[in-house]
Order: sequence, then structure tokens, then C-alpha cells
Amino acid sequence: MSTPILQARNVTKTYPGVKALDNVNLTLAGGEIHALLGENGAGKSTLIKYLTGVHTADSGSLLISGAEQTFSNPSESTEAGVGVVHQERNVIREFTVAENIVLSRTPKKFGFIDWKKVNSEASRCLAMLDFDIDPSTPISKLSSAQIQLVEIARALYTDTKVLLLDEPTASISDAEAAKLFKVIHRLKDDGAAILFVSHKLDEVYAHCDTVTVLRDGKTVLSDAALADHPHDEIVNIMVGRSLASLVTPERSVNTAVDPVLELRNVTTTAGHGGISLDVRPGEILGLYGLVGAGRTELAHAILGRERITEGELLVNGKPAKIRSVKDALHDYGIGYVTESRKEEGVFLDANITRNIAATTWGKLAGPLGVVKVSDERALVEKYVQELGIRISSQDQLAGQLSGGNQQKVSLAKWLAADPKILIIDEPTIGIDVRTKRSFYELIWGLADQGLAILLISSDLAEMITLADRIAVMDSFTLAGTVENTRHYDSMSQDVIRLIHAKAPSH
Amino acid sequence: MSNETSPAGAAKRRQGIDFKRYLTSPQFFLVLIIVVLVGIIGSAKPNAFNGAFVIAPLLTSVAIFTIVGLAQMMVLSIGQMNIAVGNMAAFGAMFTGLAFDLWKMPFIAGLLVGLVAGALIGALTGWIIAKTGVNSFIVTLAMSFALLGLIPTVYTTLSPGSAFTAKPEGMEFLGRGTFLDVCMAGYCGPAAIPVMVVPVLLVVLLVGGLYSKTKLGREILLTGANIKAAELSAIPTNKRVVLVHAISGALAAFAGILLATSTGSFTPAIGNEFMLQSFLGPILGGTLLAGGYISVTGTFLGITLALLIRRGLELFGAGIEMLNVFLGLILLVALSAERIRTVRRRKPAELPSETPPDQPADRQALSSGATA
Repeated sequence: MSTPILQARNVTKTYPGVKALDNVNLTLAGGEIHALLGENGAGKSTLIKYLTGVHTADSGSLLISGAEQTFSNPSESTEAGVGVVHQERNVIREFTVAENIVLSRTPKKFGFIDWKKVNSEASRCLAMLDFDIDPSTPISKLSSAQIQLVEIARALYTDTKVLLLDEPTASISDAEAAKLFKVIHRLKDDGAAILFVSHKLDEVYAHCDTVTVLRDGKTVLSDAALADHPHDEIVNIMVGRSLASLVTPERSVNTAVDPVLELRNVTTTAGHGGISLDVRPGEILGLYGLVGAGRTELAHAILGRERITEGELLVNGKPAKIRSVKDALHDYGIGYVTESRKEEGVFLDANITRNIAATTWGKLAGPLGVVKVSDERALVEKYVQELGIRISSQDQLAGQLSGGNQQKVSLAKWLAADPKILIIDEPTIGIDVRTKRSFYELIWGLADQGLAILLISSDLAEMITLADRIAVMDSFTLAGTVENTRHYDSMSQDVIRLIHAKAPSH
Repeated sequence: MSNETSPAGAAKRRQGIDFKRYLTSPQFFLVLIIVVLVGIIGSAKPNAFNGAFVIAPLLTSVAIFTIVGLAQMMVLSIGQMNIAVGNMAAFGAMFTGLAFDLWKMPFIAGLLVGLVAGALIGALTGWIIAKTGVNSFIVTLAMSFALLGLIPTVYTTLSPGSAFTAKPEGMEFLGRGTFLDVCMAGYCGPAAIPVMVVPVLLVVLLVGGLYSKTKLGREILLTGANIKAAELSAIPTNKRVVLVHAISGALAAFAGILLATSTGSFTPAIGNEFMLQSFLGPILGGTLLAGGYISVTGTFLGITLALLIRRGLELFGAGIEMLNVFLGLILLVALSAERIRTVRRRKPAELPSETPPDQPADRQALSSGATA
């Protein structure tokens, strides 16, 4: 092995009361995809922030191509050849693709921006990724996955030797992920060192060469060859104890019961055409599709945020008129656990009480709309216990919780509203193995209590684990619905065949 | 007075932490400055605190401007602003003046007419903001210009001297009366306390109660914290926006009417001084411009401080220009303080997921948040 491109040695970072990183070591070599694994809160993001100069460490050293470096801000790390693609998209949406790519070092001529060079440089970077897009396209027209590629192109523009990818596949579909991996492998072949953070172990095994595992801020497995450590062992190392394998419960849905939620040939203002589906009480209907297939938009149509222009929406067999989430909940008992928890699911600057009680004040309010704080607290406490949400007190702000706990707060808010139908949109994005399992068990439990659940996910394995039936969507139409046999291989073939039958271009 | 109307959980928290939080709160800081200022003014000008001639007018201004501050605070609580607060005050006062002068209405009825007019103009503003999604700054700025033109036109058309001067019974009592006029069994109250303080205190308590106790107040704060998440949590955010602007308009009108009753006539100039002052109180008192956190007590204290400084400078003979320079500086300091607070508030969110259980939340937005 040649000299490693990036070496972090004994990095320690302390926040008041917490050791976020405790003597962490990491070595990235050129031509290698290195997986960085760990549960939520293990210190992965903190480490990336250190490597990119967002945070400084209390102690430890960083060597780039053998030379010691200290970054006090992100532009210094960019200068040194460390590129990063964060989990959340990090672009200027008002700018074009080209402007975003050259942002850190915009080509100039006589003090003015050299537009010709901006476009040619951007095209060069995009070509390296085989990404066929006009550099003058505004970012706002791009999908999340496309923006991610723009961010990688931006990293290439600054002669990146080390590329850090923080959960790049968390919010894109499998097909888009496949494209992304092609790009990553190409960069690897060109000699770049790549750090890959993901909660999806399958893709880690499929694409990574080496692995580092963090737990509670410590390196519990350092720069090991992935091939030497099988899947179960890695999970045990991450969790710190052995985790029994997940057992899917026997699920049976009473098909004699009439559906509570039914869509008949629905056309919407969002662009859906001829969609028919139904969910029964106690059933988990999966809504699978690629990102951009129109699944979230369909949920929004049910909730009245998009209008249904043709066809019928029936709740309990009767036509439903829903104009807002409020109507959906109060008139029809429909709840909606949103896709992006930070932006839509929780109030980051509000405390736990207010976050969870938000849907229940109508019920709790007495004369003059006065809500008794003790009632509110008691109700919230019940759901905190039931869902096992880890908080120090109800006064804690939601923004201070881990992603998994925030997601539970978002779910708790809806359970507290006591809905009959629950739409759950991408519940486990960016959530670690253990928390994911507790979510699965929760969702099964809810279905057993008779809730009708419409589950939106672009994680096929999750779909096959959870759903009773899977409705497959493609470009705003329904490609078909399949019974879930829970045989991963045959199911995934069925589902993928449905998508392809519908749109051969994919 | 202060806001820790906070619930069971907070009460259970260790005394030490609550104490520390209290000492570091902007409200406590304001009380401290006010006490120091009163001390300085009192020792330099011993006759500065003459009840009838200094304290009573000061308290009248504090009462009026507290309402002005609350009118702005309501809108700030949803992360918006009301540039037209002064013009809405003039609008409401104009209707009360009309009611007295032209329609010969009794005092209470005329007062209600003005409040309703203020609420309606506020509701209209809120409705435009909610429906069009245009930034509240622009909508209220436009509203401000429209009213700026409309109000003097109405006055000049309907009254010869561009003022309504009818004084129905009760107006003098509310506007200029002090407790000296309130006598019971031969004993009269102090001349230092204006009668106006009573209704104003009532309104302050109502607004505090709205935020700390009711469903509506909670929903308004969540709308301010994150309007999209609020809408997706089954909160009718558009209605809340309209409601908040309506209350803001009614409060502005109330302040305008109080000012008119204290000066004795209704003129188009009422509310001219309101806009800048309206921001001063809430911001000094810890209300966040971004929405989601308010402090009624803080608004009152902020206004008190601003007016105390103004009165103090007057006593030392500083000119009006100097006063304005001073108020500008105070606002700048207050805004910087808010920026620092916002940054501090966000910080814990950057911590690696598990905040240690015994680390107190830096600030309790939305929790005990609303102050009564």
C-alpha cells in the first residue's frame, strides 16, 4: 500500500458533557472505498465535520498525503483536496448547475466572471461523472439525486483527492443509487480515496473495500478489510452486543372487512393519473417507487394539499372532501407522518411537550380553549413511554434529540391524535439498525391494533419486511399491486419487473 | 410577574438550574438596568419622581406603548412583522373619533367601534399575507402607505379642523384620570397612577394568558416556529395568521384610542411614533424575530426601559435628536443580543445526538415560553 492520502490520528473532540470523538483513528488510501459505520450518535458526522474543517478537535492530528494539516474552516479543507457531499443537499438553489460547481473558485477575467470558462469547466466536471445535463440548468429544476451528482462534480472541480460521502444513498432510489455507485467506482479507479457513510449494510458490502466502525465516539474497528468481517459481526460491533435476528411476525389481514381508505381512478393536480388502491383496517399497504414516482405527492393529494380532479377518494366507503391536513385528521381520522422530519415532522426549537401534543389540543382544551398543562404533560408522557423516546425531560428541545428519537416524536404526535388511518412517509431514512427495528415493531403493533397503514418507502428490503401488499408507482401512475410473499428475491424481481413493464426507459 | 408559569416538569427541576436560568434571562437583565437607571436618575435629580407631574405621565406612556409593543409582538410570534402598526392605530382611533363626533355614540360603544375597525384592517392584512404568500413586510408596508393617504383624507373631509374633538363622558376619566379621582369612603388613591393602567393591565394579562394557557396561543407559536410543520400537524395556519394580524390590529387601535383620550383629540397624527417603538419593546424583552418565542413580561419591561431612558434624557436636558440616536443604539444592541441568543439556542442541536440527560435546555422556547 502506498502512503495513505488521509490519516486522522487520535482525534478527540469534547462537547460540554459528552466526548463526541475519543481517540479516533482513520486512514484512507487512494483507490479505495472506505466504509464508516456506526449507530446514530456514534460520532460519524462529528468526524466528518472535523475532517472538513467545520469543527476543530481538542487533540489529535490530521495528515493529508503525509503532510500535517489543521483546518480551521471548510475552505481550507477544500484547498487541501478534501471534498464532501453532506447528507442534506448543500447548494444554492437560485444558481445554475455551472455556478454551483465553480462556486468555491469562480473563474475570472479582469475581475469579472469569465462565463465561458465557468461553463466549460462545469461541463468538464460533469463529463467526468458521465452526467448528461446542461450546465446552465437552474438547480431548482433538479431532483435530489441529481443535485447530489452536482455536488460531486463540485468536489471534482477543486481537484479532490479525498471524497467524503455522508449517507449519499439515504434519500435516493435504488436505481439512482446504482448510478451513483458507478460514479464512485470510477473515481476510485482514478485513484481517489473515498469515505462512504451509510446505514445500508447491503450496499456497504457490495461496494466498499475497508471499514471503520465507531461506537460512542470510539473506534471499535479500525481500517479493517471488509471481507474479513461478515455482516452479523459488523452489526454486533456497531451495537456493542449481539442482536438477535429480526423475526417477521405472522401477519394476517382480514380481507372480509371493507377498506377504510380507497382511491378510485384518481387524477390529481400533482399529475397523477388513474390511481386506484385501497387499505383495510389492520393492513400495511406499501407504496413503493423511485424518488419522483409521485408517492409523497399522492399522500398530499389524499390530505387535500393537492386537488383530486377526477375519480373518487373514499373513507369508510363514503366520498371524502378533504382540503387540509386538519380536515383529514378531524373529519376522517387520517394522520400523516412526514418524510423530512427536520423540515416538516418536528418543531426543532419547540420542546417535546408541544411537539407531541400539537395534534391534541383540540381534544384537551376546556372552556375558552384553555389547555391544562398537567393533562398535556400526562398525555405526552404516555407516548414517550410507549415509543421509548429517549429524552431528559419534556422541556428538552426536539432539535437536541437524535434523528431516531426525532422520528419517534414525529410518530408520537400522530399516535396521540388517535387516527384510524396513518400514512407514514419514509420512516427510517438515516436511522440506525437498532432504532429501525424498534420502528418496524411499532408499525406492526399499530397495524395489529387495527390501524390502516399506508407506508411509503424507497427501501425495497424495508417494504418487503413490513408491507402486506406492495403498490408500485412509477411516474405518477400505479404500475401494479403485488401480494407480499416475503421472499426477498422473487419479490424484488416482481417489483422491478412492474416498474420496467410500465416504463421501459428505466 | 415573570414567565415561569411553567408546568410540573419545570417545577420538579432542581432549584439551582431554574435560578440560573432566571438570572441569565433577558427579562432579569432588563429589571436590573431599570433599577439602576431609576437609582441614577433619582439621585441626580431628587425631584424627578414627583408623582403627579413625572410618574403619572410616564406610566401613561408605558401603558400606551406596552399595548403598541404587544401589537407588534403578536405578529412577531408568527415570524412576521407589522410595519403598519402606527397607521392601524390611527385607523382605529379615527373610527372612535368618528363615532364620538359624527355618530354621537357613548364612550364604550365608540371604543368598541375603533377596536373592531382595527381588528378588521388587521384581519384584511393577515388574509392578504396568508392568501398571496407575499412577505408580511411588504404587505404591511403597502397597507401603511394606503392608510397614510386614506386617514388624513377622511379627517379633512369630515372635520373642519382635521381633528375630532367631541369628548363623551368617560373619555377624560380614562385618558387623564388618576387614582386621585377614584375615591371610596373619603379616601382617594395616589395621583401617580393613571386610571388607564387598569384596562392595559387587563389586556396584558389576556395576551399572556392566550399564549401560556390556550390552544390558540400554542398553535400560534408553532405556526411561528415552523409554518410548514404546523400545517402538516393539522394546525389551520392560514386562520392563525389572519387571527394574529386581527388581534395586532385591534391592539394597535386600542393604543391609538388611549393616546387620543390622553391628549384629548383624535387626529391623523396619532400613531406616528408607534412603529419604531413597537419593535423596541418585544426585541429588548427577548421575543424572537424569527417567531416561535415571545415574552409578554419582556415586552412590558423593554418598553419601560426605553421610555425611562427617554424621560431620563429629557430631565438632563437632552434634545429630541439625541433621544432618537439613543433609541437607535438601544435597538442595535437589542438586535445583536437576539442574534447571540439565537446562535446559543441552535448550538445544542449540533451536539452529537445524545445530549446528556442532566444538561438543561439552554432556553425554553415554547415550553414555559409564553409569559404572563
